[in-house]
Amino acid sequence: MAGIVPPGTTAVPADVSHTAHTKHDEKTDYMNLPCPIPYEELHREALMSLKPETFEGLRFDFTKGLNQKFSLSHSVSMGPTEIPSQSAETIKIPTSHYEFGANFIDPNLMLIGRVLTDGRLNARVKWDLTDNLTVKANAQLTNEPHMSHGMFNFDYKGKDFRSQFQLGNGALFGANYIQSVTPNLSLGGEVFWAGQHRKSGIGYAARYETDKMVATGQVANTGIVALSYVQKVSDKVSLATDFMYNYLSRDVTASVGYDYILRQCRLRGKIDSNGCTTSYLEERLNMGLNFILSAEIDHRKKDYKFGFGLTVG
Amino acid sequence: MAAQHKRRAEGRSDSSILAKITSSPIVSRGKQAASDAAFVSKKLLRSTGKAAWIAGTTFLILVVPLIIEMDREQQFNELELQQASLLGAPPTGPAHK
Repeated sequence: MAGIVPPGTTAVPADVSHTAHTKHDEKTDYMNLPCPIPYEELHREALMSLKPETFEGLRFDFTKGLNQKFSLSHSVSMGPTEIPSQSAETIKIPTSHYEFGANFIDPNLMLIGRVLTDGRLNARVKWDLTDNLTVKANAQLTNEPHMSHGMFNFDYKGKDFRSQFQLGNGALFGANYIQSVTPNLSLGGEVFWAGQHRKSGIGYAARYETDKMVATGQVANTGIVALSYVQKVSDKVSLATDFMYNYLSRDVTASVGYDYILRQCRLRGKIDSNGCTTSYLEERLNMGLNFILSAEIDHRKKDYKFGFGLTVG
Repeated sequence: MAAQHKRRAEGRSDSSILAKITSSPIVSRGKQAASDAAFVSKKLLRSTGKAAWIAGTTFLILVVPLIIEMDREQQFNELELQQASLLGAPPTGPAHK
């Protein structure tokens, strides 16, 4: 931060002038605020700790780099998949699929594609046109009619703000904007309009972060109020809590979790107010070889999901 | 006959004393209280069992991997410390030579 006022030229003892100088440094320079993080990554720390990708069954991922920029990935997954059903019973059907993917990663251009054996195709493109302008595209194609969707995002990054414009199929339009207000606080808002479902919404978000903690809040007119708080207890441990309240449907969910990043493993656990506890362990067996264990217990619905897997590369 | 009468009267009065005792309000209240206590204690045992199961499985999922991993991390640290002290010794060996 640039010093606003140069230290006085009067004769002052050295340590007092030093403290005076640091006090002036701590006075915020509102012209030089840091760039805020993107709007969709507002809850990033809380999501990383509280929502690991738990799965059920076997999962095997193999990533092979052919080049510095190009890599292929093979992934096998076998296990029960839940079918959404109207009754309270959860219906699970055993499925298995193989997924082939190719990634091209360049400083300016990132292309990711995935094909599954059940006929689904995922594609993602991220292109940095200039230093400030980025174009992102995301497409998911399936065999079933009317289930494919695609979305384009245009991002503009300013000195201390970010803005984004979204275009999706089904006449989906969205825009969001986030601005740094102080070095720790950033505020933002978003609007969207979904033509197919005739819905529109507006939401506001705020994020306060320091070295040790991150607190975020988000309100939307779809009735959702989401607050989260992440505290970094040490450089290996962080604790996170999350509170979500839907004032239209009177749904409340609170969750508490921990995230331990040790040298040989990464362990995330969380417990919910819906009576659901999950735990996710990634253990490093060797260089490039990771062993994954995932457990999810829902005491209320008596639904137990356990998975194990291996990630290579 | 008089003896029989007497016995019958006594028997009737005996049974009536017993009947009086068993049908008295204190005894019936005591019986009701005992059955209530049995019902409540059965429910308490069942709910304690359920709570113990939920607490036990949640502890198993959340805390046991943490303990295991922290123990491994500590072992790894000790091993590194040992290796560091071992590797620290040799450079002085060749210097002596």
